[in-house]
Amino acid sequence: MSAEETHQASAEVAARVERRWATIAVIIVVMMALLAAFAGIHRATMPQPRVETIDPSRIHLSGEFVESNLGSVLEANGTVTVRAIGQQYSFTPACIVVPADTPITLRATSADVVHGILIQATNVNTMLVPGYISEQLMRFTRTGDYLMPCQEFCSFGHEGMWGKVKVIDKAEFADRAKGGGRLSCVGQ
Amino acid sequence: MLVNKKLILAHFWLAFAVFGIALTLGAWQMFIRSPIGTWLSNPELYYRSLTAHGTVMGYVFPTLVAMGFGYAISEAALQQRLVGVRWAWAGFWLIVAGSIMAVIPIALGRASVLYTFYPPLIGNVFYYLGVVLVVVGSWIWVALMSVNLRVWRKAHPGAPVPLAMFANVAGSYLWAWTAVGAALELLLQIIPVAAGLKNTIDAGLARVFFSWTLHAIVYFWLMPTYIAYYTIVPRAIGGRIYSDSMARISFILFLVVAMPIGMHHTFADPQVGAGFKFIHSAFTALVALPTLLTVFTICASVEIAARLRGGRGMFGWIRALPWDNPMMLALAFSFVMLGFGGAGGLINMSYQLDASIHNTQWITGHFHLIFGGAIVIMYFAIAFDLWPHLTGRELIDVRLIRTQLWLWFIGMIVTTFPWHWVGILGMPRRMAYFDFGDPAIAPQALSVTLSAIGGFILLASGIMFIVILARGMRAPQVDAGPYRFALAVHQPATVPVALNTHALWVALMIGLTLTNYGYPILNLALSSGTSVPAVYVGAQ
Amino acid sequence: MSTRDLFTFRNGHFRIGVGITAAILIVTAIVGFIVLPFAQPWVQFADVWDAICSAAGVPQRAASVTAPEQAKRLSEVVLTSNTLARPSQEAIGRGATLAQRCAICHGPTGVSRADSPNLAGQYAAVIYKQLHDFRSGARTNAVMSPFAVNLTDQEIADLSNYYAYLPRLPAYHPTPQLPKPNIVIYGAPMRGIAPCGACHGSLDNKTGSPWLEGQSEAYMKAQLHAFASGERRNDISQQMRNIARAMTPQDIDAAAAYYASQPPDVVKAVD
Repeated sequence: MSAEETHQASAEVAARVERRWATIAVIIVVMMALLAAFAGIHRATMPQPRVETIDPSRIHLSGEFVESNLGSVLEANGTVTVRAIGQQYSFTPACIVVPADTPITLRATSADVVHGILIQATNVNTMLVPGYISEQLMRFTRTGDYLMPCQEFCSFGHEGMWGKVKVIDKAEFADRAKGGGRLSCVGQ
Repeated sequence: MLVNKKLILAHFWLAFAVFGIALTLGAWQMFIRSPIGTWLSNPELYYRSLTAHGTVMGYVFPTLVAMGFGYAISEAALQQRLVGVRWAWAGFWLIVAGSIMAVIPIALGRASVLYTFYPPLIGNVFYYLGVVLVVVGSWIWVALMSVNLRVWRKAHPGAPVPLAMFANVAGSYLWAWTAVGAALELLLQIIPVAAGLKNTIDAGLARVFFSWTLHAIVYFWLMPTYIAYYTIVPRAIGGRIYSDSMARISFILFLVVAMPIGMHHTFADPQVGAGFKFIHSAFTALVALPTLLTVFTICASVEIAARLRGGRGMFGWIRALPWDNPMMLALAFSFVMLGFGGAGGLINMSYQLDASIHNTQWITGHFHLIFGGAIVIMYFAIAFDLWPHLTGRELIDVRLIRTQLWLWFIGMIVTTFPWHWVGILGMPRRMAYFDFGDPAIAPQALSVTLSAIGGFILLASGIMFIVILARGMRAPQVDAGPYRFALAVHQPATVPVALNTHALWVALMIGLTLTNYGYPILNLALSSGTSVPAVYVGAQ
Repeated sequence: MSTRDLFTFRNGHFRIGVGITAAILIVTAIVGFIVLPFAQPWVQFADVWDAICSAAGVPQRAASVTAPEQAKRLSEVVLTSNTLARPSQEAIGRGATLAQRCAICHGPTGVSRADSPNLAGQYAAVIYKQLHDFRSGARTNAVMSPFAVNLTDQEIADLSNYYAYLPRLPAYHPTPQLPKPNIVIYGAPMRGIAPCGACHGSLDNKTGSPWLEGQSEAYMKAQLHAFASGERRNDISQQMRNIARAMTPQDIDAAAAYYASQPPDVVKAVD
């Protein structure tokens, strides 16, 4: 066997090993993508289905984000809708109250710059971009108090923009919702 | 054959000088918002510092390293004097001018908008113009890399382009195209508002434009590191590249799939459709492929070196590696940090897992580990390797170099691991101070303190790095010989035209950008009523 | 093989590169635009076309929602960074004439001798907003409301521009400067209070927020308590009520006393 042939043979071995590794790498990547898609459906964590727009400088005049409509409302079908806004440098309502073990839809927007809503110790995490409405599904299993900081730089008061979420018992929430109106835990 | 040594040295020195300043600011930021610092009476100072740190580390520093290294590769790999030296200097001075122009408004507190811009916050117009100048300066480099390769091809028709130059040009094309996103955002949206010609801006569209740049820029930062993995490390430790074509395929994959994936930064955004989020998520998974291929090829190349040095056994060869060689050390550290950072990246890539850490301190921990850790430690190694060839003087104190690399590695782990952890706990990013006295976040205090200590270790290492290079300018003269790149085990005599040119892959890159970004951008740009009033920061 | 042969299907690399890319794109597009939207039982789409458009992100105006009636009248002012930008000399002149009737309370130079707010050099958007709110009834005051009801839009703008144009003079009853209390410097992050200066001028100005240096202590205290109790509610979307409610009475006292003791020239931001 000449040196040239040895060279050729070893190059082929190298190429074979490489192909095997490339196949494994492709399988890893495909598996990850499939897992992500499965988890999205199974755990109901998908991006918001629609893009909705709104004029941030006029949200207080009409539409769903006027002051009297901000807060939590128990819908006829037993779910809860929370409407909130972020602005420099607070959330309104500053304390959001929701029931445990209930499907909740959070609808929120920004009145000025980019903010973000993050509820600590949960997967609730969305940007608030002025001009657009953010929607996120959430469900709490534990009652208690959660912190809700703004997670995007929104100018010099950003470090002071912390809201709260209070998760209360389902029956207690239903009781409080009887009076109608929009619930919050502001001032409690 | 390195001829224009002054040009290359100028790029490296400026890069490392601004790196030193930004590193100091970074360490101060870690300290001041940790429980060991006292709350700032002016939080704006923190955001000012953060803007400077991000702008320098994100735009100026890696661009200068890529440019300096690119010129060195062009001369050394092609064995050809750099064509267009005057243009190269023009690009360099544009970056100097742009950096100064951007830094003045930042220093005056007129542009504390952070390096991500995020309108409708609007800072002083000169900040944005400065960033544009930096990018324009770097585009000159892109053009020069292309021209130099073309000149070489004319002289060597059909010959395989040296791997280092092939990768370098791929990196430059990637940068040229990825910078377009932010350039469009700046020129069409932000600068008219900052200059007072308009007073409304589409914040959602701006975020989409920025995501075009913000993710692929990471691969531009990564390019010099990967080039070093493939073409410097094997030579420096006495081995060979396992496979030349696999290396080319990895760089090609980066070129094609680094771009059309940026919207995973906008997973939590309300202005992007769910369908496009899914497509970008799937393509983001693909970008793991070139890294997985690289890890394999480099481990195999390193094993070759070990076996040539007499290493035996399934894993016994690891002991035979030249561990006292700084390049070996840097590679090992880089791989460890790449492994952890890459694993974190896989979490960020999926919408579902990202929801728990989006915009928390996890993200800052993640990109510091990947960029500041895995990538920058190889920038150090590149500088150490090139320095004797650029200065004609020897870097004598190898022990100091090893200590410096060890410190950087330890510092980065100590900084970023607790950082990831507090991110999982839900600590938000970019806040000037935290009330750790409050029981709700008191458990995060220890982790944040550890991070701050890590920041000071990094600062110490950074100072040592600059001292090593500065001392290298005055060390005894030595003939370092010609600068060489690693050779493959089976050095190819011919390479298929697709693996020897970039045209097909650049076309695919642009095509995928159009499919993955075209509609989302046009959709927002053409729909009315999405522009919102600008909010001027620190208005004067 | 020349570059021209690169872009043909005879070239294996071209076939594989373009083929795989196109295949991934088509598969992910079908999954992202058709399969996943319909795999979410909690979302309803009218038809396939609706699903595709929604997944592509075609902007839709939010569906109209009937909100409960407001219990009290709220502010209807729209403020942006462009509100009253670049006033003309004529506007300022007209404002000066109109301002003569304001001088009894707010002082001939815009600096009050009583506990009314000093207006000299105040941000134009602030005066503009408060006059509109007094006129509409979103804010009420026995003295101020009758003055405001008859003002036209033009007169409100002129007055705002005039007072913004006046130089910032020291307060009429200067007190020794007090040290900055923590609530003003740092706010109280975990109670959701940002540093006062982030909106009120010493760090930055949020459009519609006044600078406070040298204002009457009694006035500021009264307003903070009114915001906290909800008696005053013309702050758009509760931006100030959120803060005032979280302040303790001690915080309110400290902040009001501090601001009253400051000369107005420390205000940094202009509007």
